[in-house]
Amino acid sequence: MINALKHLRPFLGFVVLLVVWQVGVRLANFPEYILPAPTVILARLWATRNEQLYHLFVATGFTTVVGLALALVVGVLMALAVVYIKPLKAMIMPLLAAFNSIPKIAVAPLLVIWFGLGAETKIVLAFLLSVFPIFVNSITGLGEIEADVLDLSRLSGGTPWRIFLKVRLINAVPYITDALRIAFPLALVGSIVGEFIAGNVGAGYLVLSGQFNLDTPLVFAALLCITLFATLGITLIGLLENHFVTWKHSTRRR
Amino acid sequence: MVTIEGLKKSFGEVTAIGDMSFNVANHEFLSIVGPSGCGKSTALRVIAGLTEPTAGKVLVRGAEVRGPIKDVGMVFQAPVLLPWRSVLTNVLFPIEMRGERRSKYQAKALELIKLAGLEGFENHAPYQLSGGMQQRVAICRALVSSPQLLLMDEPFGALDIMTRERMGFELQKIWSVGRQTVIFVTHSITEAVLLSDTIVVMSGRPGTIKKIVKVDLPRPRLASMMKDPRFVELAADVRDQIDAQWVE
Repeated sequence: MINALKHLRPFLGFVVLLVVWQVGVRLANFPEYILPAPTVILARLWATRNEQLYHLFVATGFTTVVGLALALVVGVLMALAVVYIKPLKAMIMPLLAAFNSIPKIAVAPLLVIWFGLGAETKIVLAFLLSVFPIFVNSITGLGEIEADVLDLSRLSGGTPWRIFLKVRLINAVPYITDALRIAFPLALVGSIVGEFIAGNVGAGYLVLSGQFNLDTPLVFAALLCITLFATLGITLIGLLENHFVTWKHSTRRR
Repeated sequence: MVTIEGLKKSFGEVTAIGDMSFNVANHEFLSIVGPSGCGKSTALRVIAGLTEPTAGKVLVRGAEVRGPIKDVGMVFQAPVLLPWRSVLTNVLFPIEMRGERRSKYQAKALELIKLAGLEGFENHAPYQLSGGMQQRVAICRALVSSPQLLLMDEPFGALDIMTRERMGFELQKIWSVGRQTVIFVTHSITEAVLLSDTIVVMSGRPGTIKKIVKVDLPRPRLASMMKDPRFVELAADVRDQIDAQWVE
């Protein structure tokens, strides 16, 4: 019984929050358009479930995943170039650091001019927000190999290609999954901001249309969907990591 | 097997190795002993072709060394095992680097693992092993392709004193099977006397050879021999050669 309670503890915080919220809103008699009660939000979510799923998966989820996939490919390729072509690093790094300090969201209107009101703008935004952490972590994972390991590989007759495949690439995997954990929510932010400024689909658009109509329960319902989607994504990345890089976790635990 | 002629090595202003010449015969176990910073490890790296000498040259099997040499096993102070590989696949790593099939050397690897007392740990991950066991895996890895030359750079330097002593005997056991030519860098005098046929004693920086001591103790060397008067005498001879800056 006590053990069962222990497992429930992580959920207890949520339960307390929801109860306080529900009772508080009812007692204070808050207008629904300021702060709807959790039950109202859930009802709205249920009523709009098909719409929510459509906007989330057809628009937001799609542009997030495509943007992230692009960031993964480009980030790793750029890291490879920097790791293997040393002079490039000195040339490219200040440029990227400067680029990274531009708030990408401020660039969004420009992207609308270039890429239009469709999915492309959201994909590019998701890409821009998530590419940097992947790039930086990939440089570390591919580049920072113990000197002794490289010496050993060379003495054993290892060619650069074999060293890449059997040492650098595998070493980089946990660094890349770590980066994905950070990059995924960033890509999601990119997609949603894109939906805020242009177009008429996506979870971001639902939030915005809720705001226009003072349909606050819809705003909350859409936010809840976005949060669940983000949690799902991060959980999937975690599962992938647990499956492929058991060794990294084991060394960390020591 | 290995000839070193007038070897000098500087890093900018700092001279690591002043002047060094010696020969290593086939099947000889040679140790290089000296204080920290005398260029022992640098000498080993030059022999391996991982670093270029400033002057002089190294011949391995009669050919001058230019770039990483082939058919050599190397053991470093740290085990440098790949954390994502098991004991067995770590031992087989050099085979893959050579572009050969792992399966061809599987039996050899298992035999070495058994010889090193690691039977039953073939599929363990490196983090599941103690420091001494990890270093034994590194020794197996150095020997898996049956190289005729083995370079060891303070291989037991990171181990506690008890493990270190045991590892000395373990190495002797493994080495007595293949009788590879070994160049063994250490700063432990007892270790050098216990394992070697020849000890090259070096001075502090810049490293030069102070004396070459021949160890005429019979093999196999047993723990009891460490109290043997000849053992004590040889160890004292080596110690006398080493500068006051020596710190054990």
